[in-house]
Amino acid sequence: MSSVTPATPVQDALLRAEIDRSLRHPVMFFLTSGAAWLAVSILLGVIASTKTHHPEFLADVSWLTYGRVFPAHMNALIYGWGMQAAFAGIIWLMARLSRKPCTAAGTILTAGHVWNLGVSLGILGILAGHGTGMPWLDFPAFAWPVLLAAYSAIVVWSFIQFRVRPEGHVFISQWYLLAAMLWFPWIYITANTLLHCLPGHPLMAAGIIAWFRSAFLFLFFAPVALAAAYYLAPKVTGRPVFSYALARVGFWSLAVIAPWAGLQKLAGVPVPYFLPYLGAAAAALLFVPAAAAAVNTLRTMASSPDTLAASPSLRFAAAGMGGLLVLGLASLLLNLPGSTLRITQFTLSGYGFDILGLYGCFTLVMFGLAYFIVPRVTRREWLSARLISMHFLFSVYGTIFVALVALFGGLLQGSGQESWQQPWSAASAFSRPYAVAITLSWSLILFSNLFFFLHLALMWLGLGRQSSHPTLLPVSHESASPHGSEDVAQPAAAR
Amino acid sequence: MNLRNFILGLAASFGAAWLAVVVVPFFKMRSLEPLPLAEPVGTSTVFHPKRTGRIANGADVYAANGCALCHTQVVRPTYAGNDLYRADWGGLKDDADRGDTRRETNAYDFEGETFAQIGSTRLGPDLSNLGRRVEAAHASFAEATRWLYLHLYDPKLDSTRWDSQCPPHRFLFEEREVRGQPSPDALPVAASEGKQVVPAADARALISYLLSLRKDHPLPAALDFTPAKPAAAE
Repeated sequence: MSSVTPATPVQDALLRAEIDRSLRHPVMFFLTSGAAWLAVSILLGVIASTKTHHPEFLADVSWLTYGRVFPAHMNALIYGWGMQAAFAGIIWLMARLSRKPCTAAGTILTAGHVWNLGVSLGILGILAGHGTGMPWLDFPAFAWPVLLAAYSAIVVWSFIQFRVRPEGHVFISQWYLLAAMLWFPWIYITANTLLHCLPGHPLMAAGIIAWFRSAFLFLFFAPVALAAAYYLAPKVTGRPVFSYALARVGFWSLAVIAPWAGLQKLAGVPVPYFLPYLGAAAAALLFVPAAAAAVNTLRTMASSPDTLAASPSLRFAAAGMGGLLVLGLASLLLNLPGSTLRITQFTLSGYGFDILGLYGCFTLVMFGLAYFIVPRVTRREWLSARLISMHFLFSVYGTIFVALVALFGGLLQGSGQESWQQPWSAASAFSRPYAVAITLSWSLILFSNLFFFLHLALMWLGLGRQSSHPTLLPVSHESASPHGSEDVAQPAAAR
Repeated sequence: MNLRNFILGLAASFGAAWLAVVVVPFFKMRSLEPLPLAEPVGTSTVFHPKRTGRIANGADVYAANGCALCHTQVVRPTYAGNDLYRADWGGLKDDADRGDTRRETNAYDFEGETFAQIGSTRLGPDLSNLGRRVEAAHASFAEATRWLYLHLYDPKLDSTRWDSQCPPHRFLFEEREVRGQPSPDALPVAASEGKQVVPAADARALISYLLSLRKDHPLPAALDFTPAKPAAAE
């Protein structure tokens, strides 16, 4: 990968092993505690979703009322799982790509515990009835400085590693990582200062939340996922990235377009009129960076179809990039002012869009990265290909179901809302079957993550396979080589 | 491209949007100009809608219990949605005193709140005009308040709302011993022997806030987009 290769392959392998060893505990801590939060979040999601069609379910427990469980579900997904998976990805990828072992594992691990403490108190705060009611920033106001400090203590070392790396080529993954590391504090500080510290107009506060959510998704989660996908695709297939020019177009178009998006959610709300239109234009244009990056990584993966079928990392990354393509398309089609925006603005499709981005794109790629990183840092191979394929199938089908049902159920629900001659209850009735379907698909995803969590916990306990052969997924005979499936070996570059 | 130029590029591409859609509009909207009224209301000649009730406390309860997940507080103009056509969302279609008072949401409607709960998904109806709507459907303000308490306690208690998907909020109420006369706010629901179900502090603040959501102030000309009535044009 690097143009600066150490003198011999042995030295190179030693350096990589040293990097992996230096990051073993932080990476495994972020992945396992992240996976535990993911399970908590999905469980809360199942409870919340059940309540939308059976309001009497657990109705007498104030801690579990819909209005608290739902924000707890989203915030656990974002800050508990999403951010921690991103931390694991950022610190490991940056160390490997900058060829520098980590010298601050203790600090990172401590900051990771502080982060978890902040998230736990925040979630308890929401459930106890102290949430702020601002979507994606629902934690009580004490949480954000804690989280910001922990964030800085975790990622600053990756920034330093990049600064002191040996001279040489900068990989596209590093661009995305660096940018995400800088964008996140910028949007997080902006939103929190303007909402918690400076009294402003209440409607503009709502506008800032809309902008924050869009920027968080497209300027933090999407770039981290893309960094991982741009790392995995060439690394596992052993082929170069399909097009570096396209990668550059994808990166800079994201940097230029994404910060303008988000305020389309305020169409018709009395804020300055140009804001929702600018937001809608940017949201539609987001198709460009999404498609450029997704096509580029998918073409790279497709250059080696057998590896794609056999490698769990690539399968998950490919599914996540497929999710990104759909996300870009949904952003284009659901935000057209005057036609679809008025229908989707206040419907389930907003939730579908969030889940598609957070789960269907980011989380799937992070699973792929975890399947790649964990054997390297624990020096053990995954125990069971069957557990991995169960995880893959249930995650992917569950996500497709939850996102598509919410996106398109939202369109029908929205048409119902727009039929003003009909009584309001007719519009709510439209959404009910889709709400039931969302509960079912979250249950599938919960089931799939039980496999993942079990598998990850076993690996952390040092119970992985001691073998020099990676755990690969079984490949059907049609796509395997004529000599049988045993010959489908991972190329040397993947090791 | 070296790191310095890269960061400058990011700062420029992000900073331009950050200033244009977040920072500048935020500071521009911090203090809205007072708007002159065509006819003075009481002694006031500028538009200054006052809301009465426990707005700040109630808004906190509304936020912390996630009411905004299912209920919006925005009546969009007709170019952005059909909300205005509904009979009682943006005002009342047939107000006993003033005729059709329906109007779109304006920037003065969130007086006294720090965060406008415009909402995310409309699983329930819009609440911009809830106070006026409930009041108009009942004989007196006291009866409207009672109905709202009961609705909060269990939305399905009203037999016309048998298919409501709104969760009951019984945890905002408490059972208290009856001493002397029962409380005027006691709900007509089953309680233990010698006890009554009454709203707790949070429920009182929330209902006070909900009743303050009304769109019946006279508007200044600058915010009045009602099409001229044919009768008035003659």
